[in-house]
Amino acid sequence: MELKSSTTIPERAQHIALKVEGGKCQRGDGAGCAIVSNSATTPGDMTERGCTYAGCRGVVGGPVKDVIQLTHGPIGCAFFSWGYRPHLADSDFHMKYTFVSDMNETNIVFGGEKKLLQSIIEASREFPEAKGVFVYNTCSTALIGDDGRDVAKQAEALIGKPVVFFECEGFKGVSQSAGHHVGNETIFRQLVGSVEPEGDFSRTINIVGDYNIKNDIRTFEYMFEAIGLRIITRFTGNVGVDDLKIMHKASLNVVHCQRSATYIADMMEEKYGTPYINVTLWGMKHMAQALRDTAAFFGLEAEAEAVIEQELAKIKPKIDYYRERLQGKKVFIYQGGPRVWHWIELLRELGMETQTAATTFGHEDDYEKIFEQIEEGGMMIDNPNVPEIEEILTRRRPDLFISGNKEKYLAYKLGVPFVNGHTYDTGPYAGFSGMVNFARDIDKAINAPIWKTLHKKARPAPATHHSSHGFAHGFEEGE
Amino acid sequence: MSCVTTQDRAVSINPTRSCAPIGAMLANYGIHGAITINHGSQGCATYPRHQMARHFREPVEVATTSLTEKTTVYGGKGNLLEALKNIWERFHPTMIMVCSTCLSETIGDDIPGTIDEFTDNHPEITIPIISVKTPSYIGNHTTGFDNFLKEIASNLPDKRKKKGETNGKINIIPGWVNPGDIRELKHIVREMGLHGLWLTDYSETLDGGYYEPRPHFARGGTTIEDLRSSSKSLATIAIQRYIGGEAAHIYERRYNVPAHVLTMPIGLANTDAFVDTLTEITDHQVPEALNVERARLLDAMVDTHMFTSGLRVALFGDPDLLEGLVGLVAEMGMTPAYVLTSSESKPWAERMVELTEELGVESEIIIKGDLHELHKRIKAKPVDLLIGHSKGKFIADDEKIPLLRMGFPVEDRFGYHRRSIVGYNGAISLVDEITNLLFERKASLVVSNTIVELGVEGPTSAPITFMNGKH
Repeated sequence: MELKSSTTIPERAQHIALKVEGGKCQRGDGAGCAIVSNSATTPGDMTERGCTYAGCRGVVGGPVKDVIQLTHGPIGCAFFSWGYRPHLADSDFHMKYTFVSDMNETNIVFGGEKKLLQSIIEASREFPEAKGVFVYNTCSTALIGDDGRDVAKQAEALIGKPVVFFECEGFKGVSQSAGHHVGNETIFRQLVGSVEPEGDFSRTINIVGDYNIKNDIRTFEYMFEAIGLRIITRFTGNVGVDDLKIMHKASLNVVHCQRSATYIADMMEEKYGTPYINVTLWGMKHMAQALRDTAAFFGLEAEAEAVIEQELAKIKPKIDYYRERLQGKKVFIYQGGPRVWHWIELLRELGMETQTAATTFGHEDDYEKIFEQIEEGGMMIDNPNVPEIEEILTRRRPDLFISGNKEKYLAYKLGVPFVNGHTYDTGPYAGFSGMVNFARDIDKAINAPIWKTLHKKARPAPATHHSSHGFAHGFEEGE
Repeated sequence: MSCVTTQDRAVSINPTRSCAPIGAMLANYGIHGAITINHGSQGCATYPRHQMARHFREPVEVATTSLTEKTTVYGGKGNLLEALKNIWERFHPTMIMVCSTCLSETIGDDIPGTIDEFTDNHPEITIPIISVKTPSYIGNHTTGFDNFLKEIASNLPDKRKKKGETNGKINIIPGWVNPGDIRELKHIVREMGLHGLWLTDYSETLDGGYYEPRPHFARGGTTIEDLRSSSKSLATIAIQRYIGGEAAHIYERRYNVPAHVLTMPIGLANTDAFVDTLTEITDHQVPEALNVERARLLDAMVDTHMFTSGLRVALFGDPDLLEGLVGLVAEMGMTPAYVLTSSESKPWAERMVELTEELGVESEIIIKGDLHELHKRIKAKPVDLLIGHSKGKFIADDEKIPLLRMGFPVEDRFGYHRRSIVGYNGAISLVDEITNLLFERKASLVVSNTIVELGVEGPTSAPITFMNGKH
């Protein structure tokens, strides 16, 4: 299996594999082993990957609702990470405001520590109701050697609130994934366990690795509560600093995103002995299993079964309706990491098959889980770049592409139905009720009348304007 | 009299501006078949791509050299060479633009030197490869666009120009506008019977149609041949001072192409100035079609003046946009109460004071400002309307005032990149939209202006002002 668009970049073949007869793995370079992942991107290959800062500020730290989200660096990093990821909460301070120490040339030459300290003080003076300050480091401030940790310590003493410094400079890792790790590690070290509340924590859990995209949490939180459990901390969707401080009190960590948040569960297990279980909170089978596994830990099996039965009954007729309409459709999923393997089963429950699965920053364990679940003939690709995605959409012709906003308009330009799996067009998609939303959106995308109109009525581009010399992406020849 | 104030804070809270690389990327989209390589962290390419996709609703493709920890220690030269090779082999672009970042500038990578090495090793590659300096810690998004234009003006035009040789065209530098604006400018130039050479033209590349099959490069954009011949144009018109103004002067100094740097043609007087400049450069007269549009704009302003006169407006955005916009705001009888930009330019602020005085309005010109500062001003003394990009929605929501979305980015509405705010037609649609926004707000309150404010019938200088955030 090789993509023509990458013939000039031979190392890309190691990142592509087919599941061939007998369930064997056949890699693009002919090897019969797992694909290469979590490695440096080929320069100039038009990757979709982001940076370490994005993984830390955008994913892990950003959803914390009651802190000042301050970027230590130049303006762009703060502007672009401001308010677009819908990690909602019951308040919107974290969505509405972005703070930045706004490094200029002079600061880069003479150092930005003073300006950072002043920024923290001013910001907390402007918003005295904030419960703390999260400071994110960027490329330039890391390179000039600003000691942000020290500044954070000084600032903490001055404002009397936690100031958490994340060493998440963009160049640190090969993708956003490194930023998740920094985010976990820093929050654990600086906040978790800093308060010892009194009370009974025997039937409590943390939901770890859900970011409450378009209120995902609302689709499953009430079910855990119906079983008789209390959620202490949501890491990190709809969560405040005070919740993070007492996170260690929970009896069990329920880990949903196992790429971006297993780190903190591991650290808590090591330090506090808190056990954790891995769950998937998307789809009928997985969601039910998550409730069962969680309940089993507390001996609440009967309660879980009652909730599952009641909730599944509510959505079953709707899912049946959509399954009939979606039966046999082939899907290309391209997400950051675990969502890909979370959703293969969900799509199967809707009668659909995952034809191609790709992640931006998945690691080996993610690809193992994907490979296990895809059918023979299914394809796996790590860190796909723009021409590769275009080639897959053009040559493998999926009935549906599930990906993010950047890829959306490419799919539309190629006439491929699309669902926004990153930030959801009209979510939430988690839990049982969210699955109905997901199915509805998939149905809306696939069965929209526009595709027939397009393919019947569209015309080739007028050639009179400009003609490019040769094929842009190199894979169309001979087709 | 208008006054100038500066925000006195180290921390920036809700900035109105982003950083330089996105400006160069946007400008490069106006060249047919050109590809951008961003030399830095992956986020420096991915964040702007995402932002542009949310504004233009188009695929935006930019390459990155994917610098990591190791390359920051040993330098990013190897990554850049590899990226150049990969981009050339896979895309065969018409041009490559390499823009820098905080990272590559701070570690001191020699981008022009690396490009030279690449072209020395690959004599078969004859396309232009230019480098643009765009560290995020200098200036803002407009700086990147402006630096790109300066590089183009210095490097691409044909220097072998015979005396008196001309291509019969007029260089027009639209700057940071929208595809719809460029199309409106093209319409004016076409109606005048003239030919524009657009530096650069993203009117179609970033607002493309649906075609089967998908063209290999997005349709549209200025060709390299046109860029080469731009030294032989009759004149250069830049409609933004801070984006393209200096490039226009480079054309004048180096190639003897006279420069005309104008205020952005928003509203009647500013559009008149643009049209007049076209008549000055050539001997073409203003055609009937444009005069009809102009008359229609006057008519629209007469029709709406009773509903707009006396209103207080807060504006924020880039200096050039604001300079053009206060013209229209004043023509509609409104007061540009607050005019806020993140730019630090004192000369601009001084010009704005003169301009508002000429227009007979009193404004507070706030430089180096952010949206939090504007919000505080509006809380202290309310306005009836807010004009600026999508990030203004937080103020608009809190204070319950309408937001007229304008500038970049408009990411929470569709189609704003398709409309124009320049020219007579652009002004007509703005006049209509502003009036309708005010109507919608009043309709939802179901009370008349005067009763709201005073509790009695009577004259008022600022109707509905009192309702802001107090209801």
